[in-house]
Amino acid sequence: MGNLRIRPYEDLKEEGMYNVNADIPEITYHHIGKRGVRRIDGYAKASGKAVYTRDVQVPGMLYAKVMRSPYAHARILSMDTSKAESLPGVRAILRYDDPEIGGRTLNGSVGGPDRMAGQFSGFALKPESVILAQEPWFEGQAVGAVVAADTEEIAKEALRLIDVEWEQLPFVLDQEEALRADAYVLRPEAESNRIIDIAERDFFELGDVERGFREADKVIEFKARRDAHLWAGAEMPSALARWTEDRLELWNHVQQPYAVKLLLSEQLDIPMNQITMYSPYQGSSFGERGNPADFSINGMNVLAVLTAKKAQRPVKLLFDRAEKFYGESGDMMVSYFKVGAKEDGTITAVDMKNIFAVFQCTPGIEHLLENTRIPNLRCDAVTADVSKAPAWWDRCEQLPNTFCLTLVFDHVAAELGLDPTLVALKNDGCEGHDMAWLSKYKNEHGFPDKDSLKECIDAGKKAIDWDSKWHPPGAEKLPNGKMHGMAFTWDHEWDDVRGTGSAAVWMENDGTVSIVAQHSDLGVNPWTTYCQIVADELGVPVEDVTIKPFDGDHIFSLMSPDGSCNLCSNGFIVRKAACKARAILLDLALNSFEGLKVGDLDLKDRFIFEKKNPENRKAIKDIAVLAMPMHNAVGTWTEPPIVGWAWHQHGIWGDAIETGRPRLCRQAHFMQVEVDTETGVVEVTKVVNANDVGKAISPETIEGQMYGGTYMGVGRALTEEMVWDPKTGVLLNRNLIDYKCATILDCPEADTVIVETQMGHGPYGTVGVAEDIATMIPALLGPAVYNAIGVWVDDFPITPQKVLKALGKL
Amino acid sequence: MEEQTSKYLCPYCSTKFEAFEDLKNHALAAHAGEPAPLPEGMIRLTINGGEYQIQVQPEWTLNYLIHDKLGLTSPKMFCDRGACGSCTVIMNGRPILSCMTLAIECDGNIIETAEGIADAGHPLVETYVKHHCMQCGYCTPGFITTAKALLDRNPDPKEEEIREALGGNLCRCGTYPQHPKAILEAAEILGNSEGGE
Repeated sequence: MGNLRIRPYEDLKEEGMYNVNADIPEITYHHIGKRGVRRIDGYAKASGKAVYTRDVQVPGMLYAKVMRSPYAHARILSMDTSKAESLPGVRAILRYDDPEIGGRTLNGSVGGPDRMAGQFSGFALKPESVILAQEPWFEGQAVGAVVAADTEEIAKEALRLIDVEWEQLPFVLDQEEALRADAYVLRPEAESNRIIDIAERDFFELGDVERGFREADKVIEFKARRDAHLWAGAEMPSALARWTEDRLELWNHVQQPYAVKLLLSEQLDIPMNQITMYSPYQGSSFGERGNPADFSINGMNVLAVLTAKKAQRPVKLLFDRAEKFYGESGDMMVSYFKVGAKEDGTITAVDMKNIFAVFQCTPGIEHLLENTRIPNLRCDAVTADVSKAPAWWDRCEQLPNTFCLTLVFDHVAAELGLDPTLVALKNDGCEGHDMAWLSKYKNEHGFPDKDSLKECIDAGKKAIDWDSKWHPPGAEKLPNGKMHGMAFTWDHEWDDVRGTGSAAVWMENDGTVSIVAQHSDLGVNPWTTYCQIVADELGVPVEDVTIKPFDGDHIFSLMSPDGSCNLCSNGFIVRKAACKARAILLDLALNSFEGLKVGDLDLKDRFIFEKKNPENRKAIKDIAVLAMPMHNAVGTWTEPPIVGWAWHQHGIWGDAIETGRPRLCRQAHFMQVEVDTETGVVEVTKVVNANDVGKAISPETIEGQMYGGTYMGVGRALTEEMVWDPKTGVLLNRNLIDYKCATILDCPEADTVIVETQMGHGPYGTVGVAEDIATMIPALLGPAVYNAIGVWVDDFPITPQKVLKALGKL
Repeated sequence: MEEQTSKYLCPYCSTKFEAFEDLKNHALAAHAGEPAPLPEGMIRLTINGGEYQIQVQPEWTLNYLIHDKLGLTSPKMFCDRGACGSCTVIMNGRPILSCMTLAIECDGNIIETAEGIADAGHPLVETYVKHHCMQCGYCTPGFITTAKALLDRNPDPKEEEIREALGGNLCRCGTYPQHPKAILEAAEILGNSEGGE
């Protein structure tokens, strides 16, 4: 026992913490970065055999539906469920005044007081944190009762048979109206409808904006508005709960199954080892299944679990498409900007006031801080309570930040008559520091010193033929009579700096390899990518590697893109675990390579070989066959299994200076439009994304996120809009016919350009890309339309009506 | 009055009967060789080549029958009202929305789902995998059935015809530009294999 480690936990921590660029890979890439690696999930998805939560059924399962408020603000005075109870096929009704649910609130303990915590989420900021309400605060809120029945139809019919006596109450829809002194105050105990941001993001200041305006050659002011759009993920949420005595099994469409388990355990007093969480295939999430404390996860789960207990049967609670329009839309904002700039494009000061409805995802100023050398910044970010469902992150919480950055830069360029790409290069930097400061950082931390923005701009300009197509605003009428417009925006790549996870890499006796960790696949082809990394580290073909992601009864858990970081964390995790498994394999192999040390050996093409003498080799499977997890003891000598597990902490949210990790990779986007000035119709004819992804591990996957993000972004900019009736507060277009997502016929040409500088903080110098484009593209339509017609339409989405109004035709 | 009380009508000669058993006996005797009439709510389907005889409720959609009752998971519910194409199956050669079709009206029909297309080794499945036509994958089976129905009736489609055919299928992940590539490649594989025979 002499070599017992003194601080085993501290050792694990040290091994798991990310150090800036301490992780420089020494392997030769065989699968990493290669095209044509077959998707591991492709066949299951194309054949329809992949099982999603919505597909799961268990014997004896009941279907459950929850009542929704028909009013924007109301109170239940009385509720009679007797008719519903006597409907044949109804097995259980959970009422808002039942002791097990009455007054119970969403549990947001996980994560503590940070942005992922429930008390920070849109739902928890308001009285909507009551899971099954008596007093609904928006139309569509879950209220009154849950019915479990033999079929979904019977459950719906039973809800119709419940008699509710309502008291209707006043409501407010618009955030600016809600903040007026004479506004109706929604919460009786509050003095106003203003919601104080508990993370203290209500006000930010850097430098002295007044001085910045004095130093400017020009000061411009403008207003912009962005209304709610929806993630509208493909799979409608559902939760299936099954009790066996005191053991609970739960099937969930959710990004963080382990956090879900912890929350439920605390809330309903179920020991964690009595809960099994399954996360089957996930019909898209976009971050919206990423807050385990929100109603559509935590609330839905509690209702399913309690109804199942009451019915003494497995219960599957189903939300339909309309129900998914309540909660988890993108946030809504009105912005007032004042910007000072010198004639050469140097921005001297930005002052902004952003007014959000219900919830602010981010204040709006952060990218101007993280991404530029602008010395003077100020931001008031005010949030007002209104009678709409709480907003949440819609593919990415950075939308307010990208919205403000794009509009600030493009307004400045337009006002000064400068090429916007030059204005970007003029102001590129980090937290008030210029490119020289960034170069010093890169050199000190082992990064290549490249001008990422310039590389992205050059590549993007070439792809869209910018130099010959860009023109002064309103200057080019096309032969078809439409006005031609071009626009550009830029940002850093932000998806690379945070997250934690764990996984094991296990080599089985035949030399094939399994990655063992629960993981919710959101569609970004993560599993193939992890297999590519593990295959290269272990010297086996990628076909020999697979992942076991569905079962939550082992301890390992890879992070889904929570905190905007998937591959950048998980790539490290599987790589570290593979390296440990590799060390064990080589150590075991020494028995077969007499006189050699581990460092003398390497792995390639399913063989272990002596580096100096590659002819001296053994098949991996002939070594692995000795290492058995179990075997009967008669006549066979076995070795311990070849398995390595790793935990990795990639970091937490924070500014560059604070974390010591400035973002070094940039992205540039270009858009071409045609505007019909008679009808106001805007057609996006081409989009070019040029993204510095650091290192492309799976190029097709990156491109998928680029064109996919473009289509979602163009939809948000042009057609996607939630519309409320001002007279009743009722959401009018809660279906996918009236809420218009892009189809294949609506999509412009999307040209994807991958730039690789290896300056990301992820493994092999990579940086994420999946959130960026859908978040960057919407605001880019504004300057594109301006370039076409010479008038700003800073009101998103840019519908034909708004274009005609801007042109003075309405 | 007689009209109202005669429940069962012979599908071959329109003779009326009071009881199903009487109709069945009549049909077996008078129309031997024709399929025997089925009791109320009983339908016959051919799904992916297999014969089914199933008792259905009048309100069941074809999607509920195939997905929930038969356990074929490929017809997905995305929009829940005929707006997304994810529940598409091929019925008698045409792509149809299974969520908007009543099962009871499908008696005698031939149905193909994505599982059947995959099991039959249709090249579309592999070209879809190759071209990354799926991200989350939830809408993918609806694209596969729509594309297969297109290739059945138009073995050599132009890109514009492909886009037109897929115009009713929503993909929230935005995989759109990959589908024409995969379908054109599948058409080429099918064309080559036919040419070679």
